[in-house]
Amino acid sequence: MDAPEWACLLDVLDLIKDKHDGTLAYRKSCRMMICGSCGMRMDGRAVLACKERMKPIVDAGHVPVISAMGNMPVLKDLVVDMSPFWGKIRSVKPWLDPGYDEVAEKERIVSQQQMNVIHKEALCIMCGCCVSECNSMEADPDFMGPAALAKGFRFVGDARDQADVERLNTLNEEHGIWDCTRCYFCNERCPKGVDPRDAIAKLGAESVKQGVDHDMGAKHAKWFIRSTETTGWLRETELVPKTQGIIEAIKQTGFALKLARKGKVPPPFPPHVAADVKEARALRELVGEQGRDGALGIVQGEHALGRIEFTEEAGARENAPEIQPGVEPPPAEG
Amino acid sequence: MEAKYDVLVVGAGCAGMRAAIEAHDAGADVALISKIHPVRSHSGAAEGGINAALGNASEDDPEKHAFDTVKGSDYLGDQDAIQILCDEAPDDVYQLENWGAVFSRTEDGRIAQRPFGAAGEPRTAYAADITGHVLVHVLYEQVMKRDLKVYEEFFVWKLAVDDDRCQGVIAWNLLDGGLATIGAKTVILATGGAGRLYTGTTNAYACTGDGMAIALREGVALKDMEMMQFHPTTLAPTGVLITEGTRGEGAFLVNSEGDRFLKNYAPNAMELASRDVISRAEQTEIDEGRGVDGNVLLDMRHLGAEKILERLHGTRELSMVFAGVDPIYEPIPVRPGAHYHMGGVDTDVWGRTSLEGLYAAGECACVSVHGANRLGGNALMETITFGKRAASHAADWALTHTTVEVREALETDAERELRVLLDRTEGERPWSIRNELAETMHVNFGVFRREDQMRKQGEIVDSLRERFESVVVEDKGDVFNSDLTQALELGFLLELAECMVIAGLERKESRGAHARPYDYPERDDENYMRHTLVTWQDGRPKLNWKPVTTTKWQPMERTY
Repeated sequence: MDAPEWACLLDVLDLIKDKHDGTLAYRKSCRMMICGSCGMRMDGRAVLACKERMKPIVDAGHVPVISAMGNMPVLKDLVVDMSPFWGKIRSVKPWLDPGYDEVAEKERIVSQQQMNVIHKEALCIMCGCCVSECNSMEADPDFMGPAALAKGFRFVGDARDQADVERLNTLNEEHGIWDCTRCYFCNERCPKGVDPRDAIAKLGAESVKQGVDHDMGAKHAKWFIRSTETTGWLRETELVPKTQGIIEAIKQTGFALKLARKGKVPPPFPPHVAADVKEARALRELVGEQGRDGALGIVQGEHALGRIEFTEEAGARENAPEIQPGVEPPPAEG
Repeated sequence: MEAKYDVLVVGAGCAGMRAAIEAHDAGADVALISKIHPVRSHSGAAEGGINAALGNASEDDPEKHAFDTVKGSDYLGDQDAIQILCDEAPDDVYQLENWGAVFSRTEDGRIAQRPFGAAGEPRTAYAADITGHVLVHVLYEQVMKRDLKVYEEFFVWKLAVDDDRCQGVIAWNLLDGGLATIGAKTVILATGGAGRLYTGTTNAYACTGDGMAIALREGVALKDMEMMQFHPTTLAPTGVLITEGTRGEGAFLVNSEGDRFLKNYAPNAMELASRDVISRAEQTEIDEGRGVDGNVLLDMRHLGAEKILERLHGTRELSMVFAGVDPIYEPIPVRPGAHYHMGGVDTDVWGRTSLEGLYAAGECACVSVHGANRLGGNALMETITFGKRAASHAADWALTHTTVEVREALETDAERELRVLLDRTEGERPWSIRNELAETMHVNFGVFRREDQMRKQGEIVDSLRERFESVVVEDKGDVFNSDLTQALELGFLLELAECMVIAGLERKESRGAHARPYDYPERDDENYMRHTLVTWQDGRPKLNWKPVTTTKWQPMERTY
């Protein structure tokens, strides 16, 4: 079958439907990466069909396997039932709660910096690619999932929203943010650079900052920080009682002893302490001084397209990692 | 009948969702019905912004906005409607912000506004270059908040007209198959444009003029159908939209000689002249051999990486993915492409059509606020303001009027008609007709129009319609039968093409998007400052005329 050089996966599917099999079913609309209709899998990874150029694949002599997205029931061919997806989106109360009912006479005053906090989450087109790839959801179909959680942060991070504590409490419940396994597949497969895992991290940090820390996940994270602050190291033996409580910790004594016998855990006494604890504390103070607490403290995984570095005079740096569409960019330096 | 509502909104883009929200808030029982999920709507592909005289970037007022729009329309816009749009626009934008729209901001935290084509002031409020996306999502958030009923993936095929009143729709259920009649005291069409009439278009596959065609079939008139806007910057080779915001931010258009050729066409406004002017200039450069592989170049390198990354991030992404060019380093190839239908279902300033109970808003309607040429940023504004107005009138009417009665025969007749199509096993499949229609419309009814080409196009459409009579649908199944719906869409497009051709032939002048440089190069206010009206009679389009409403602006020569 012939296709034009610029053809993307969606164009090829159209050709198949037109000339070979009119019954082939898939969703499509804008063909410009904004409507979110054409999420599907190519060679087992979620993609937007309109974004995947086929020429490099044909040139390489590869025959890709196209299938429906994961974690959602297949209705026909590449069409999945997205109602569970939308149900989870709805569960985060995805609308602004400004704390009042009447319409203000003018716009609220919000700085661009404040708007930027939710810039990436606002890019989400609800295509479902992240949910398709979510390992936590594969294990627990009730897990809220990356799209809904990113939508949650879109409001928690919005300076105009007055319901963040209520929202954080909901998002901290079972199947919520702490049930994410941090596999980062959602970040990697999101076709729009939303980086849902980062949104989940921001929700975690913001929860701890706002005192929403009843979940074991939050306690675990808190003790992690506390431990590195006081000793410069993570003290695993204290982590379990601090996260799960004394009784749970006692129940696990047998398991801990087994680990100790195999040399998998350090002895609890004396507690190991870094050679220079001050260094660890200084790092923490530095972060504090920058005012980057809560969600603002999460800096990992900056958007791929933003990674290109520039200097005023020379334009792009010679050795800056070039970003190619469809190719995972190299990690940023530092 | 499946259900009955006070207000049923067909289409769930910006106009449809804004309408549904308004009707609900007015106390009406409302439902949305759409062939795609609301957030998939093509409103989401609008990039540059939404026009309202907020005055955040300069001294501005609705009066100036109205004048720019009247002039931009080449004096074919109805001035009373334009005044309403411009007066109501600021509050409607504040409303969107209050609902949570993520607008870009000025230094002092107000909604940012950028310059746009043919606008006297920087009036276009924006959210980077994804304004439509932001608005679609904020409206859907409000739809979810109100828990409105949405018939998702229901393809509306016919209006249910009984007792000379529109009382609902007959729709094909895409997910499960089968026809359903959904009753309503009022129906608001908000189905968008018909850009799929052309090969080179910014429009989504969904933009097949459904609302216009189903209204036409019930005797409702379509207005100014010859007025199809060609956007000057659609990306080669696929035609996806590159926002006017690039030029608003300062990008240049250059020809193969590296010349900013607009100095010869619009020496004052240059790249910020109106869209019809720039599209003609580009086409002239290309036709006269100063193009680059059938394109001109849009150069934004001088804007710098920082500005491009912050305000034109989506544009850069589109350029890299679809043209393999990074606009930070290289100019991108662009050309005129079909973008927006100024014409549509003839309505008054409350969205009312000539059929009782039927309303229309957004691109599928023609109020007319855009006349012969729409200004960038006015489309999103129209969807919001007139979506709201149509719903407020429809809700009011529905709450004070009678019940819904649709004869069962309507659905059984429709069922029989569909059976004929589905039972046919021998014949031509629709795709070649669809491709031929789009290719010939592009050649014969494009930026420039010639009498002989338009006549030829009329004959081509006739022959395509004949072939369509015996078209065969390969998929006979019930689940997600897009083979069927695409065939029905083609039927809509063919009839709309007929309407465009007849209106184009009869408008013997050059005005806005309708340019006839070879026989009628001038605007002729004496004879043609009036709307074309096309109705459908015995399977043929019939042309009438309707006066333009002028209030305070008399036609003047239009230069930029």
